[in-house]
Amino acid sequence: MIHVFSYKDKNYIYDSGSGSLHECDKDTAEFVKWKYENGEKVNLTQSKIEEIERDLNSLKEQGLFLREEIKAYPIKSNELKALCIHICHDCNLRCRYCFADEGAYHSAREFMSEQTAKKAIDFLLANSGNRKVLEVDFFGGEPLMCLQTIKNVVAYARARAEEQGKKFLFTTTTNALLLDDDAIDFFNREMENVVLSLDGRKEVHDAIRKTRNGKGSFDLVVENIKKFVRSRGDKNYYVRGTFTAKNLDFSKDVIFLAENGFDSLSVEPVVTDIDDLAIKPEHIPAIVGEYENLCDKYLEKHKKGEGFNFFHFNIDLEGGVCLQKKVSACGAGNEYLSVVPNGDLYPCHQFAGDKDFLMGNVYDGVIDPVIREKFASSCLFTRKDCDGCFAKFICSGGCAANNYHFEGDINTPYKVTCEMMKKRIECGMHVLAKKKELEGK
Amino acid sequence: MIKTIAKPSERKVTGCGECRSTCQSACKTSCTVGNQSCERVTREQNPEKAN
Repeated sequence: MIHVFSYKDKNYIYDSGSGSLHECDKDTAEFVKWKYENGEKVNLTQSKIEEIERDLNSLKEQGLFLREEIKAYPIKSNELKALCIHICHDCNLRCRYCFADEGAYHSAREFMSEQTAKKAIDFLLANSGNRKVLEVDFFGGEPLMCLQTIKNVVAYARARAEEQGKKFLFTTTTNALLLDDDAIDFFNREMENVVLSLDGRKEVHDAIRKTRNGKGSFDLVVENIKKFVRSRGDKNYYVRGTFTAKNLDFSKDVIFLAENGFDSLSVEPVVTDIDDLAIKPEHIPAIVGEYENLCDKYLEKHKKGEGFNFFHFNIDLEGGVCLQKKVSACGAGNEYLSVVPNGDLYPCHQFAGDKDFLMGNVYDGVIDPVIREKFASSCLFTRKDCDGCFAKFICSGGCAANNYHFEGDINTPYKVTCEMMKKRIECGMHVLAKKKELEGK
Repeated sequence: MIKTIAKPSERKVTGCGECRSTCQSACKTSCTVGNQSCERVTREQNPEKAN
């Protein structure tokens, strides 16, 4: 299908069948909109129409316009790629919006034993088939409350992987409260990626991310994160913030982070049903406008040589994943699972603790075939509401957990997320075009 | 006037499953496969960066 959109003075045509993006003049955009998107009839001279049709036919011959969408089947391998290890269900912060019940996941505050964590590594290796590269994310709660366990588990995993000719890529997600020199050194040696939580401006961060005694945590973490980033070199990290209904002007937070020396950023909409924080349908126009503000500021910084990486503006249209992966979505419940402190398995961290989605335990070594099949067969084409959406091959039908928690079904896309996603994709495409323009391509 | 900004690179292999897990990146709440790169394409274009 065709999607025509404008951004400021630029006009674009995105062909979802071929996955290609074209820039065009206003007349062409309006003509394509009229012809293929039921847009308003346009009054153009016959010679202009002939010129546009010639250009479109040329694209069509190259397979870059009106290309038929292929109904590829999802990847249904039984190989497990990744585990999210909830190394502890406890946290040293008490953030109001925490989807994980401030670290406890609606259960007892507990730490994963080293034995269970090692068992999780064994479980991943045993279920990874021929896959060589495996991924483990240490998640919580707050993982740095268990740094020694993580160190021991990483050493164990490296040794086991070497025996089997495999390799682990580790990530840790942390609030940085305990990010001292020892942790920084360990992360720089062993973590392929580190995700550090910081919401942006001090007043925004402190309003939500509080210590156990109710004080804002900004001043306690920001210098730790700066120190870590300075030491990180060219290795991956993300400073990751959350925006809520309280800071719909979140572009200011992104720019604040960029101007404080953080050049790899991700700021995400909150996942919560807390009334005064939740993102609701009535917030969408403001959020859509704010993504445009952010996109303008992002490009301005880029032009000035002060560019930074914003996760959601990275749309890879050239070297992106293949159609089968796009159809398969994120892989939760099939190639990616979460392990909680007692070893229980869930489709992903967002389902942790929900007994309806309990898939087994690393000690039993068995993955519930019914739940796994439910997730493995859930794909873009089982998400019927996505049929007529231009964004479907980029978002893959959205997050199964969000779909379930807000719409009651992993196959029903959560509309609020859809609107944000579509805008981010348009911004990402505009960013791609502008960067190429600046590079003279 | 129409100018092609981007089109997918030709693939020798598709559906190999070598791609990274989507949820291991940055967001943990709004996973998007469109942000991801193909591991094979990355490896071909930049052998030093590939895993």
